[in-house]
Amino acid sequence: MTRNFVLAGIAAIGLALTATTALAQAQDSALAQARASGLIGEQADGYLGFVPGAAISADLRGRVDQNNIQRRQLYTRRAAERSVSVNEMAAAVACEVFERPRIAVGEKYRTEAGQWRQRTAGSTIDVPSFCGQ
Amino acid sequence: MRAHLLTSLGAAIFAAGCIPVQIQAPDEPIEINLNVNIRQEVIVRLERDAAELLDQNSDLFGGTTP
Repeated sequence: MTRNFVLAGIAAIGLALTATTALAQAQDSALAQARASGLIGEQADGYLGFVPGAAISADLRGRVDQNNIQRRQLYTRRAAERSVSVNEMAAAVACEVFERPRIAVGEKYRTEAGQWRQRTAGSTIDVPSFCGQ
Repeated sequence: MRAHLLTSLGAAIFAAGCIPVQIQAPDEPIEINLNVNIRQEVIVRLERDAAELLDQNSDLFGGTTP
């Protein structure tokens, strides 16, 4: 009896984990699609942003906001550990995103000056000046 | 002759003194540069942390792209 109960519990946890993973992947692909179609993009401040003029659905807006909230949590935690400001930690991540880059060809990104550009095959990415390279 | 030289020298100095020299107070460029340097230094110091955050949270950021 108790054993059955435990087994059922384990099964439930397994199911919940699978569901969570599936949800995370779904969110990932929706954002990836929006990036690829130029609706949203990486910004020099370390967050995702909406490209002006793009038709953003309520669903997409929610996903982007959620993503940025999670990013902010990461930045805040690490900033506290390193005794720097959240903005500085976010800027450091932005440098990695722009320099590696984590911006695919065809995707749009927002420069330090606030302008939206598109990464094309031949062009170099406009890396923020504070990245120190 | 020597007095003449001295006079012209004096005139030259006097004239130079009369040239209006405009001195404008700098618009805090020194302070701005200092801030940029400090910021850059902090960002460079955080490079490893930033890379780690990216690697550990690839679901939040775009995939690695060549």
